[in-house]
Parts: sequence; C-alpha cells; structure tokens
Amino acid sequence: MSGGPFELVKEKAGFREFRLSSNGLRVLLLQNRVAPVATFCIVYHVGSRNEAVGHTGATHLLEHLMFKGTPEFQRDKGTAIAAVLEALGARFNATTWFDRTNYYETLPSDCLATAVRIESSRMRQALLRDSDRQPEMTVVRNEFERGENSPFQVLYKHTFATAFREHPYHHPTIGWRSDIEEVTTDRLREFYDTFYYPNNATAMVIGDFDEAEVLALLAKEFGSVAPSSRPIPPVYTIEPPQEGERRFVVRRVGEVAWCALSWRTPEARHPDTPALAVLGNILGGGVTSRLHQALVENSLALSVTVVPWQLRDPALFSVFAPVRPGVEPSEVEKIVRDEIAKLATQLVTETECAKARTQIEAEVIFDRDSTDQIAASLSEAIAVADWEWYADYPAAIARVTPDDVRRVVRTYLNDDALTVGAYLPRPSANVAVEEVA
Amino acid sequence: MTGAAAAPPRRAPFVEAVRHRALSNGARLYVLENRFNPTLAVSGTLFAGRLFAPQDRRLIASVTAGELIKGTAKRSKLELAEDLESRAASVSVASDASDPAGVDISGAALSRDTDLLLDAMVEVLREPVFPEDELEKEKKKLVGSIRQQQEQTSVRASEAAMRRIYPPGHPLHRLTGEERIARVEALTRADLAGFYTERYGAASLVLVVVGDVEADRVLDSLEKGLGSWTAGPAPAIAPPPAPAPAPGAVTVEMPDKASADVILALPSDLTRTDPEFLACALANSALGQSSLTSRLGVRVRDTEGLTYGIHSAFSASHVAGPFTVSVTVKPDSRDAAVASTLDEIQRFVKSGLTDKELAEEKSSRIGRFKVDLGSNAGIANAVDTAVSYGFGVGYLDEFPSLVAKVTREQADAAFRKRVRPEAFTIASAGTFGRP
Repeated sequence: MSGGPFELVKEKAGFREFRLSSNGLRVLLLQNRVAPVATFCIVYHVGSRNEAVGHTGATHLLEHLMFKGTPEFQRDKGTAIAAVLEALGARFNATTWFDRTNYYETLPSDCLATAVRIESSRMRQALLRDSDRQPEMTVVRNEFERGENSPFQVLYKHTFATAFREHPYHHPTIGWRSDIEEVTTDRLREFYDTFYYPNNATAMVIGDFDEAEVLALLAKEFGSVAPSSRPIPPVYTIEPPQEGERRFVVRRVGEVAWCALSWRTPEARHPDTPALAVLGNILGGGVTSRLHQALVENSLALSVTVVPWQLRDPALFSVFAPVRPGVEPSEVEKIVRDEIAKLATQLVTETECAKARTQIEAEVIFDRDSTDQIAASLSEAIAVADWEWYADYPAAIARVTPDDVRRVVRTYLNDDALTVGAYLPRPSANVAVEEVA
Repeated sequence: MTGAAAAPPRRAPFVEAVRHRALSNGARLYVLENRFNPTLAVSGTLFAGRLFAPQDRRLIASVTAGELIKGTAKRSKLELAEDLESRAASVSVASDASDPAGVDISGAALSRDTDLLLDAMVEVLREPVFPEDELEKEKKKLVGSIRQQQEQTSVRASEAAMRRIYPPGHPLHRLTGEERIARVEALTRADLAGFYTERYGAASLVLVVVGDVEADRVLDSLEKGLGSWTAGPAPAIAPPPAPAPAPGAVTVEMPDKASADVILALPSDLTRTDPEFLACALANSALGQSSLTSRLGVRVRDTEGLTYGIHSAFSASHVAGPFTVSVTVKPDSRDAAVASTLDEIQRFVKSGLTDKELAEEKSSRIGRFKVDLGSNAGIANAVDTAVSYGFGVGYLDEFPSLVAKVTREQADAAFRKRVRPEAFTIASAGTFGRP
C-alpha cells in the first residue's frame, strides 16, 4: 500500500502494522470479532525508566493529569474525558510502568471514534494546569500510601531499589514520597513536551472494526499532529553486574512475615527469556509447581508467587512468599534456594517442561478471549520489545527444552546475583484496638 | 486499503442463541457456541452458601466449597491438579461474601480439552471425599490467611461496620479475626461432609458453558454426568430481614499504616430481584460508582484531592446487603473526607438526579453491559446471573430496554427510601493516634 496517509510496514499472525507517514505514529491493527466491542490503546514509550531523582513518579503523576482535560474535553465544558467515556459504558484507564505509559478504552465498537478523538486531543493539547496538579498530587500520594500498606508492594519496591543501584529501575513507578509532593507542574510539562509525540507512540485497535474505516479515522484524528522537533532522549545508564549477594529487612507492625528472593536476569529481548518464563511456571505455576509443593503444601508459606520480570533492560527473576505465622522466614528462604540448587543440577523431565510450556502457550490463546486482554499483553510487549516479539512468543516457548531450563538456572540464578528481602512483623502493644464512639 | 475481513454475522438474540436443557433432577444447563477463539468458559451457581450454614459456624460453607477440589473418589488433589494444569485448564468452586446464598463455580480451558474440563467439574461436584490431611493443611493456611487479612485496613474497617450493623446469627454478621480462627480450628471433616450431603445437589444448580464447543455434545455430556445426581434441597431462599440502622462511629486503631480506610454503611432491604434494583443502581452510579466521574469522586477526589479511591454500592444479591461508601485516606484527612462525603450524599438525597445524569448513567450502564459481554467468561457469567436470579436468558436481550424505562422520579424515590445520611455506621481503620 502506498500513496495514502499510511504505509503498511509488516503483517504477521493477524496483526497488521502501519506507519502514519506525516508524523511516524505506529499503528497496530488486530481484528477479533468475538463481540461488537473494540479496544483502542495508545502506548507512549516513556515510563519510570526515563526518570531521575527529583522527579521520580513524574510519568505517573503526568498520566493522572492527562485526565484533567484538553481544550475540547474538560469538566468546565461538561466534557470531562472520564465523563464522556463513562457515558458510553467504556472500560477505560491509564497505567504507568517501568518502560511505558498506556491509555486505553474498551467500548462498543460503534463508539470507537470518541476514544480515538480523546487520545488525539490529549497527545499534544493536555491542559496540565497547576491548579489541577495540587489536588491530584494528594490523590497520587494516597495511592502511594495505599501501596505502603501492602507488604508485597513494599517488598517489591525495596527489591528493585536494592538490586538496581545505577539503572532507573531502582526507583518505583509511583515515585518516592517527597518527589511526588514537590515536583513542579513545569517539570511535568517538560516531561510531556519531551515524550508525548506521535513518533514516540504506538496506537492499537483491537476487536470489531473495519480496517479501511479505522485507518481513515486515525488519519483524520492524528494526521495533523506534529512529530517532536528534538530526538526522544535515550536512556543510556547500564546496571553493572552484581558482585555479591545483597540483603535487606523491613520491620513494621503486623502478623505475617514475607520473604523475597530475586536474581538478576537479562532484558526481555534476550534469547533466554522464554526459558526463564518456563522456569517461572515450573517453580510457581499452580498447585503442582515445585515451590507450591515445597512451601504451601508443607504449610510453610501461605502462597508463593514467582515473577520472571520481562522488561526492556535487564531485570529480575523473583520469588515472593508470605510466611505462615510460626514459621521462620529463613526456613522458607532455605527451601527456595534448595529448590533452585536442585534445578541447577538435575534436569526437569520433559513432561514437567511440557506442562509449563502448555500453560504459557494457553495464556496467549486465552488473551484473545477479550480485546482488552490482548491490548494489555501487547502494551507490555511493545514496551519491552515489539509486537512481533509477542506474535513469536508462543513459538519461542515451544522450543524450550529441559536443557535450556537448567542452563538458565546455572547462568542467572547464582548467589552473587541474588537479592534477598524480608518483611518482618514487629509486635506492638497497641495492635488493632477497636473503639466505638 | 486491503484485507479487511468480512463483517461478523448479525447476532441472534441470546434467548434464541443459548441452548438450554433442564434435567429431571432440577439442574439447568445452558450452552452458547462462540467460535471466535479456541477456548471455553464455564460459570455456575449452586445454593450452598453461608446463608445455609449453621448460624454460629457460617464458614463451613466456604471451606466446604473450597475443599471440593481437594480430592474425589477417582483422583487425589494432586492427580486432579496435574491433569488440569498439564492442559492449562482450571476449575474453581468458591463461596464468598458477595452472595451469601450461592456458591460460584467457574472453569476455563482450551476447547480441545472440553471433555477434560467438564468431566472434572462433574467429578468435583458429585464425588468429593474431603480428605482429612487436606483439611488439616487448609486449616493451617486459613489461620495464616485470616491473620494476613487482619493486617489490612480495608478488611478491618469493613468487618467493624458489618459487626455493628448485622447481629450475631445474621449471615452478614462478621466475627472478629480471633473468633474466626477459633471456628477454623474446631472444623472437622464431618462438618464438611455433613454440609455437603445436606446442601449439594442438582435442584439449585445452574451451569453455563460458552465458547468454541458443540452445544449438543456439551449438553449430552453434562446430562450424562449430572443426570443421576441427587436433587438435594429445592432452590428456595428465605433471607433474613434487614436490621435497623446502627448509627455511630467505630475506629480500629492499627499501628504503622500509611493509608486509612473508611466505610460508611447502612443496612438496606434491596435484593437483586427487587423491582427497584435498577432504579437504585442508576442513582448509585451517579452518586458514587466511579472515583473519576460520579458526584463523590468529583468532590472528594477530583476537587479536594482527599483520596485515591471513593466508591459507593448497594450490595444486593439474594440477600439484602448494606449500602456502603468506601474511601481510602491519609489518616489525618479522615474527618475532612467523611464530612465531604456525608455532605455530598445529603445534597444528592435532597436534590436527586439531574436529567443529564440519569441519561448518562443509563447509556453508561447499557454500554458497559455490552462491553462486559465481550468475552466467553463475561457472557457465561451474565447468563448464569440472569438464570440463577430467576430472570431467564431473555434478560440479556431485555436489559437495555429495562434500563431505559427507569424514570428520574423512580430512581430518586428508590434511593431516598433507602439512604438516610444520618443513619450511617462510620467505621475507620488505620493509624490515627488515639487521644
């Protein structure tokens, strides 16, 4: 296809990628007519990875301010973004993560044009008023505080802050409290004026639509948005290899201890990523998985969660477990390490490996049950790699062998690359007193 | 432009598209073929929730439901899990607080594993053996989980409100964490087996399968598996009446909590089958369904910045649950947030909905309904709900017109009848610092 506003870049597995010639906006289409519903999602390639001390949490705070409006969509005119979408029955939100920010709307497919217009309006015309930032800062601060109430979130934030000292994965997406409170509206606008451009974004439409109509709609709404005049600044900081085990402890009043072990792993695009994903399921995918059997079935932990983080830059392979009261957290840590040691020496059986592969391959098929689930998975994929990585993922998983699993355990899950964290309950004389006034 | 796929066929009304079979023992089976993706989803309901458990030992219902998958006459827990997990299939049976009458049954699989999934579901419903050792493990885990929940400000605030409003013996009464731990520790295998024998059977069972399946094959397979199951108790429900409000404040002081939770709660007589349900739901949507757009959200979050989340809801199932407003706050903002919330509710009760609000809430609800029907699991769940509440499958087709019919007067009257701002129980949990 040529001559029109779009050029067809590539197609594979039902996906069709286009590029808007006027400004470089990437467009990804996937028809999935399971219901008269469509998801529009726009991913900006900016996340907490692009932040530094002083403005940690800026990407996320900016994401909140993006709901405060544009000249066309604002509360004063009775056209607040959320109100317009709510009235259509849309399921909508925005999320910020290490490598990306996404804005999405799942709605009846005959309402798609409204979602596209809202996103085109806020790509370059967000109001970003200081009078909006003030109350929104305290909203975000409450979001931060809610996170601080969760032992899991506290542990994951400390884990990344401990394992990464130089790379910006060190700081959490929500930001540090004082940065959330003090960052200026001007600084947020600078962020917006650096990263929110069509040439730093990918728009996707998934679900029930007509391709010609949807491309015409996208050309109409986004075609005149100018690209950035400056190059998008790259992140060049590299986390050096870890040269010894690191440990941290968090003590707060409570009753249940948690244990977290995380090893440094490569970036999502690395060829070992599929084997690490399979390893994740072997260790933590369901009742029959090794750590569930060793910890939960033996009444040592209340549950176990294994996360092979897949990020744009080198990341972690994590195990989190709330420890059953009365059990020493060190006992849980020892068992996790023993299970890893076994995997470094003995090959898993082909049956066990096949089960893990089947679970991951099925997840990709289940994704296609709903348009917003595909959009969520694709958002992550294009943030850490690209959509082809997502399209090729099932085949890459299918190739993982027991030898691959042992090799990645030996390569990455070493003590020198390990960060161990503990969340330890601190007793209090005043635990939970209920008073009726 | 090239390559656009053919437009999807026009969809038949659900009442025509969903295949139905009623078995002689009372089980009602529904199947919708949806061939777009090689998966299937199952949703079901059976009346064996906490409403039917002994008054002082309500948790027998949830533990019995959870233990159904811990071993059957044919397979141990591990064998069953191995068979399902090796095919990425899943089965779950759970009884939670959202509907005190029902047990929720759900399942999912790739369509190549349809038989495996349906066989496993029939097996766990009909042949659980409640192994002693599994129950002992579960009890240890439950005690730990209760302790873990007790660390959450949202749980503590909600429990304090429910304990104050609903008297002991009421299915919505909430025991303290320590009381629940004592009940867990006293549980025996005989308790579960006894409750199972008494409550589980086909008479109240609804099972819905949606996905890439052949309807006749699924119906035949389920009839073969469930046709000879005992009927059990008739699907009759006699929920207790709603108690009188218990106005007043309860504070749960919890150390080391950065964020606090506040629940404002009132008993209500609204059930899901009440003719005024949709009127109440539309009024509530305008008041507080969304943290971003409803009146409470615009005031307390958007304008005053006092919270990340504020949300109001009627908890209406087979049992009339409370009307609640929940809000998370920085502990020292609690009083301001509560005052603004009550003021906004007061205004809403006084002035009622605007025509614009009602029109927006109607289009929102109708649109959201369509969006929720955008997946196999969403459709299965909607059919299951419509049938187990006695509306029938046609409810899915009629829903938009039922919503459209509600008038502003009906919505205002239904809401005013039930929400009296002065009668709230206000329960908060967090680190406030006791005077």
